[in-house]
Amino acid sequence: MEIAKILGEFHGLQKDLIHILHRVQAQFGYIPPEAVAQIAECLKISENEIFGVLTFYKAFSLEPRGQYLVTVCLGTACHVRGGVQIVEEMERKLQVKAGQTTPDKKFTLETVNCLGCCAIGPVVVVNGKYYSHVTLNKVEPIIKEYREAG
Amino acid sequence: MRITINGRQLDVSGKKTILEVARANGIFIPSLCDHSALVPFGGCRLCLVEIKGRKGYPPACSTYAEDGLDVTTESPALQAIRRQVLELILSEHPHACLICAEKKNCDEYKSTIRKVGEVTGCVLCPNNGRCELQDVVEALKIDRVNFPAAYRNFDVRRDDPFFDRNYNLCILCGRCVRICHEVRGVSAISFVFRGSQAVVGTVFGRPLLESGCQFCGACVDVCPTGALTERASRGEALPDEEDETICPLCSIGCGLKASLRGGRIVSFAPTNAEAVNRGQACVKGRFILRDVVYSPKRILKPLVRQNGELHEASWDEALDFVATKLKGYVGKNLGFISSTQVSLEDMHVFDRFTREVLRTDQIISFRNHSPLASFWKELRMNGQPAELNFELDSISTAKVIVLSGADIVVSHPIIWVEVFRAIKNGAKLVVINGKDSSLERHASFHLRVQAGREFSLFNHLTLKLLENNPENPYSRVNGYETWRESLLNEKKAAFARADINEAEVDLAARLLAEGQPTVFLMGPSVVNSAAASANIRALWNLAQVCGGRLIPLAGENNERGAFEIFSRSSDRVLSVEEALFKISRGEYKSLYLAGPLPVPPDAAVEFLVIQDCFMNENVQRADAVLPAATFAECGGTFVNVEGRIRKFKNIIEPLGEARPDWWIICRMAEKMGAAEFGFENAAEILSDLGRTRPFFEPACHRHQGKGKAVFILDEKKGSGQFPSGESPELAPQRAAIHSSPAASARALDYYRSLNLVEESKGLRKLRGLREK
Ligand code: SF4
Ligand code: SF4
Ligand code: SF4
Ligand code: SF4
Ligand code: FES
Ligand code: FES
Repeated sequence: MEIAKILGEFHGLQKDLIHILHRVQAQFGYIPPEAVAQIAECLKISENEIFGVLTFYKAFSLEPRGQYLVTVCLGTACHVRGGVQIVEEMERKLQVKAGQTTPDKKFTLETVNCLGCCAIGPVVVVNGKYYSHVTLNKVEPIIKEYREAG
Repeated sequence: MRITINGRQLDVSGKKTILEVARANGIFIPSLCDHSALVPFGGCRLCLVEIKGRKGYPPACSTYAEDGLDVTTESPALQAIRRQVLELILSEHPHACLICAEKKNCDEYKSTIRKVGEVTGCVLCPNNGRCELQDVVEALKIDRVNFPAAYRNFDVRRDDPFFDRNYNLCILCGRCVRICHEVRGVSAISFVFRGSQAVVGTVFGRPLLESGCQFCGACVDVCPTGALTERASRGEALPDEEDETICPLCSIGCGLKASLRGGRIVSFAPTNAEAVNRGQACVKGRFILRDVVYSPKRILKPLVRQNGELHEASWDEALDFVATKLKGYVGKNLGFISSTQVSLEDMHVFDRFTREVLRTDQIISFRNHSPLASFWKELRMNGQPAELNFELDSISTAKVIVLSGADIVVSHPIIWVEVFRAIKNGAKLVVINGKDSSLERHASFHLRVQAGREFSLFNHLTLKLLENNPENPYSRVNGYETWRESLLNEKKAAFARADINEAEVDLAARLLAEGQPTVFLMGPSVVNSAAASANIRALWNLAQVCGGRLIPLAGENNERGAFEIFSRSSDRVLSVEEALFKISRGEYKSLYLAGPLPVPPDAAVEFLVIQDCFMNENVQRADAVLPAATFAECGGTFVNVEGRIRKFKNIIEPLGEARPDWWIICRMAEKMGAAEFGFENAAEILSDLGRTRPFFEPACHRHQGKGKAVFILDEKKGSGQFPSGESPELAPQRAAIHSSPAASARALDYYRSLNLVEESKGLRKLRGLREK
């Protein structure tokens, strides 16, 4: 199946673990347990080692992510400009805590430490689209945009 | 080379870290993550030192000594850094007791309350009094922690057998993760998550039972804190005595340290003493052995049947009773079963007793056919000497290892550790017909062949090797052409029948041609097959052709000793299967069971004596039951899988009325009027053995713990002739005798008549999981 297909593109080399995980993450929106088992078998390493790697990097998630990944920056610059309040507002509006996914699997809320564009902070990113100088008032419209997009 | 530490000039040879040099010379440098069995890690930052001419503070554990280095281990600056580092570690560790001003008084008046759910301080911790973290706090004289305390509040994991994991006490030194990964090759645990969330865990937080853990206990033994603790002994007070012994549960014979309290064994842990197990053991020796000694099934008093019921009796009564009865069977209709898990001394007395007093068959209870005996017999039939001795080092230094007929991770855990050491040094592993186990991922090739047709695969590997080497010297050896012809003729059929993948055979043969030295490990399933003799011959040929060493793996702790005493010079040995066959034909009117044998209920046996440590299925029909002492209660000698002579002494007094096996037999022989059984201790018996059997000469001269390892004498290496390798006609009667899978499954986990899988729920879970 799909995981096998991804694995088929690599040559069973342990150094490709991160690449493989990225591919699985992109495909499924998270790293399912079956994937860990299959990667372990293919690369001849233990599942526990893979788990160690995949929990080390923020890029991988253990639970299915929502259709839209909302990332709020909490790096120093965004933090001093009110990033924390933005996160709290997002949590209220989406009814989930940072790190969680809405029950309808539409949104996953996450925080990050600096996206490298501090000048335009506070920054929010939704599936790769950047929103600059975000204020509390802009939170609702951002969410609405995607809720309506279906 | 020469380095200076704190002004002292020190000579250093070989590649050593500064920490190792310091330790060897009695210079203390605090350390928590370093461990002698592990690759330097540099994680805890406590071992920082100053080196003249170098910037900063390099860690002593991961900086190697170089000629001329000038090292300082103590300075106010170092002290300040170390304290800060330790305080940081302590901020996440329950440290109230560690810095408490009343510590001294507390230790004096309060004993540790070890059976608590939450460990909030040393006084509630199972590790109190033997904790490396405590030692370091003591050494650095920490009396306050200048960081906010952060209790991590993990649930204590108690869902696995044998040990608990309380990661609230974990200091993330990584020793457990590293020993599991570097030494055991298991990687059942790993650092998971990161930053302040980092913790040791398993995939998706599963129980260890589902993460591939073998429960070897290596992680528990290296953990410097109370995070990992053996459950069975966590409630016990600190031991007041330690003693050394040898594990009797498999052919490795691991050196074990017994902790005792009030004359009772509290726990066993591996020792580093001899080059056998080097600080490693396995689930059985580490976690189960204590319960073996104190099993509720232990027989503690002699029992004698009177008017149809078993009654307790004194030794004198019991021996008189048995001796009188036995006299009626001397020289006829009498079978004697010996265990392969008793000492050389016991076996020697059994041997003499059966020859000189009972004048009967000696039956030795190999549960399976011994790879040793089968190998030796096969080679002898082909006029070859059989070399049996080896050293574990010859495995860890091999370049190619071919494993066939055993799941050594389970059956020979320490051999697996050596194989894994070799793999880490670049060796390649070829597994032939292994069960699927989590560790076979370390194999380069996994060749499969229908069970019982292994010879076909061995032969074709040999053929490939010869074909790839046109100048092979074997083409001139007698019988080579015929052998080759027959193989080529039946090749297609053989491959199809044996289920062999030709491409893989080709690749594996190439590997064998390149790698030197090569070691072939031959386990029991190769010889417990109808095709045993063909298998052995084919594997031997293969080993000859690649100039490798074939090592038959004895399974039980004194299997080699039993082979030397009972098999090498006489043909009085029967296998269990053959004995059962004789019983079924009514050939034994009387049976003396000093070893395990399931006597069938319909057996026509008139007089049955049981000499064992444990109650078993035969007791209810026994006429007399004589309580034997376990290894822990009597001293003696084992010969391990390598041929290494392993002496052990008693660490506790015999339980109840139990007595060493040799004692029981000697007294019995005397009652039966035999002279020259007046032995009073194991040493006397050993010298008697050395006198009568030259192979045991070395065993008699060994002073425990001193000098070089001693091996039993051995035959010289084979001459490299090419024994006939033609495919055999399957011998049907042999096939019938051998095919008893239940026996081989059970064969692994028992001590005398005690089935460890039945005794230990944890072991049952562990093995059950593997069989699935
Ligand atoms: S692990 Fe050591 S320092 Fe920590 S509570 Fe237990 S005994 Fe004390
Ligand atoms: S018991 Fe052995 S196999 Fe299991 S985690 Fe510890 S070291 Fe690894
Ligand atoms: S559990 Fe023990 S050995 Fe493992 S990292 Fe924690 S303190 Fe170190
Ligand atoms: S490997 Fe063998 S000798 Fe060592 S502890 Fe395990 S059973 Fe005992
Ligand atoms: S702090 Fe938010 S982008 Fe740098
Ligand atoms: S012992 Fe050197 S860093 Fe831990």
